[in-house]
Amino acid sequence: MKSIRLESRSASRGNFHQLLAPLLFIAPAFFIFFWFIIVPAFQGLRMSFMDYSFFSESTFVGIQNFSRLMSDKVFWITVKNTIYYSFITVALLTIFSLIAGLLLHDNTLKGVKVFRASMYIPSLLSMITVGIAWRFILGDQMGIVNYLLRTFGHDGMQWLTSRSTAMSSVIFVSIWAQTGYYMVIMLSGLQAIPHELYEAAEIDGANSLNAFWHITLPLLKSTVLAVMVLATIASFKAYELISVMTQGGPGYSTKLIVQQIYQVAFTEDRLGYASSMSVVLMIIIGLFTLLQFRIVGSEYDYE
Amino acid sequence: MKKSVLSMIVLVLVLGMFVPTMAQEDVTLSVLWFNDANESEVFLDTIQPYLDENPNIKIDMQVVAFSDYEKKIKMLLSGDSAPDIARVTNNQIPVFLSELEPIAPYIEDIKDVESAFMAASLAFAKNENDEIIAYPTEATANGMIVNKTAFEKAGVDVAEVSKTWTWTEWEEIIKKVIAVEGNPTYGLALDFTPHRFSTLLFEFGGRMMNDDYTAVNFSNEKTVETITWFKRMHDEKLIPESVWLGSENPAELFQAGVVACHIGGSWNINVYAKNIKDFEWMVVVPPKGEIVSSVPGGKFVASFKSSKNKEEAQKLMAWFSEDGPNAKYCCDTFNLSSRIDSSVEYPSNTSDFAAFSEALKATPVYVANEWKNPVLSQISPIIKEQIVLALMGDITPADAAAEIDKKGAEMMK
Repeated sequence: MKSIRLESRSASRGNFHQLLAPLLFIAPAFFIFFWFIIVPAFQGLRMSFMDYSFFSESTFVGIQNFSRLMSDKVFWITVKNTIYYSFITVALLTIFSLIAGLLLHDNTLKGVKVFRASMYIPSLLSMITVGIAWRFILGDQMGIVNYLLRTFGHDGMQWLTSRSTAMSSVIFVSIWAQTGYYMVIMLSGLQAIPHELYEAAEIDGANSLNAFWHITLPLLKSTVLAVMVLATIASFKAYELISVMTQGGPGYSTKLIVQQIYQVAFTEDRLGYASSMSVVLMIIIGLFTLLQFRIVGSEYDYE
Repeated sequence: MKKSVLSMIVLVLVLGMFVPTMAQEDVTLSVLWFNDANESEVFLDTIQPYLDENPNIKIDMQVVAFSDYEKKIKMLLSGDSAPDIARVTNNQIPVFLSELEPIAPYIEDIKDVESAFMAASLAFAKNENDEIIAYPTEATANGMIVNKTAFEKAGVDVAEVSKTWTWTEWEEIIKKVIAVEGNPTYGLALDFTPHRFSTLLFEFGGRMMNDDYTAVNFSNEKTVETITWFKRMHDEKLIPESVWLGSENPAELFQAGVVACHIGGSWNINVYAKNIKDFEWMVVVPPKGEIVSSVPGGKFVASFKSSKNKEEAQKLMAWFSEDGPNAKYCCDTFNLSSRIDSSVEYPSNTSDFAAFSEALKATPVYVANEWKNPVLSQISPIIKEQIVLALMGDITPADAAAEIDKKGAEMMK
């Protein structure tokens, strides 16, 4: 009788450990996520239906903010710029991080750790630091690149001043700063591919290109998807780098949605209208992420 | 005897009850600050004698980057954590006007304050009920700083010609200056802000608002003319595109000897005095357009209605604004004082400060009154964007002015 009671006690203790303990472990993370992500998101959604500013009474205006948004020329220019910036940045980041991963995933390569560290270091810097540094490099009058060009008898380029080069310059710097980060994700994906598959392919007469197309790329699909989703979200939210390098200029040439949201919210003090822009941004990011899941999303099993 | 002992005991007990209330409680004043150069350091140094006299007062200072400063105050106010003292600019006062605490209830006679400071500075520091809600600390003025050496190389005595020059004469002279081998490549750089652009605009006789300050009004002949002139200067390469189109810092361009003249704020004296070693520079009165004008501005200290320690904050601010501390602060930060009776003695550049003051004195009152309106701060990025679009040739100067007016009307609804 005694032993049965003990068993039931230990069973209930087991249930406690199995059910309650995991919940307690995730509770702090959930608490932070709930209060700092979920609640502000719903607050933002509520504000998007209001005429809301810092110092005046807020009033409910229905869909007025969204209908005004439809005819806001500057907002749609920033949407177009954001999609262009994201598309190019994500595509190039994926390609370059994959190439870097392929070149540096062989642990036996001499100096591989130095190369990996060199690639990764830019991603440790804050985007503000990166922006300031590159503004000094690409500046029209004070920039190092133009100084060198002029020293060798050429005209300086308007890297950040001309609308035809400003966006390309920003994209270039963005890729320089982030490739290392995504390379690490690619490396983890590459190193998880079983080596036996390559050995078997080699025995069957496959060359390196065949192995890449038929083993590496298919098995790396979920990693590539992760990189693309993360890079898409990051590029849609890009703010600091562009603010420091071009302030969104010249004109609207490099102005992205987040710059416009910040300006409308904090300079123009129209928080309700800015919230409606944020809701549209959230929908766009959601749609692009879904699209990526559709295109690249099938899972592969190593077994 | 028994009675006197008893009364002594009662007296001691009664006094004992009062002792804790007589000892002053520690008060920590939260101070929010931003730096143009070394102002936070100098502020703490200046108020040290006050803190020595009032050992119960402690300071908890937070220094925030200027780019995030306004947002930070908004966040603190909306979170009911208003600082006890904040350094604010004349552009920020209109934004927080309804939140700032009037100073009159905390001082003996408000007229003493009114008579101590320059009218232009006080104009910024008043709310809609004409109550003073901030103490002016330093005044700022926009003016023209020139590379004296470059002008000398072109055979121009800039100190002399600048006494009477017009913008047309400036254009002729500057073309001569930049034509000299080894001289700056460009004639003029203007900070990428509507505030500095308005220096030109007012000089050319333009206005940003209507006469009763109830509407944004860029669509007037002189303002459109100013934008047109500004575009022509860019097209003729007398002004580098890299400032308004590429965000390069004009102060850096001036220090590097790339531009011959810089229209900037009086705070640049501090930076240039420290950094420029390769050439001589000086402040001159800007060339005359329709009028000679600067744009007054300034920094202030203020407390908020929702601040926790308003009384102690007001006492400290009143002390800090007296002539002695104000003169020390302005001298050590190399700024113009807002006080009429200022006894500040600068260690150098006295004539440069005087040139800024001269331009400030010539400035019409409507300049300060226009900049007092919060809508101009709110549409500031739109003004910049529209002028840039005009410079790029995407729209005409008249279209740019019309678009600014449209946005201004939306904001003022």
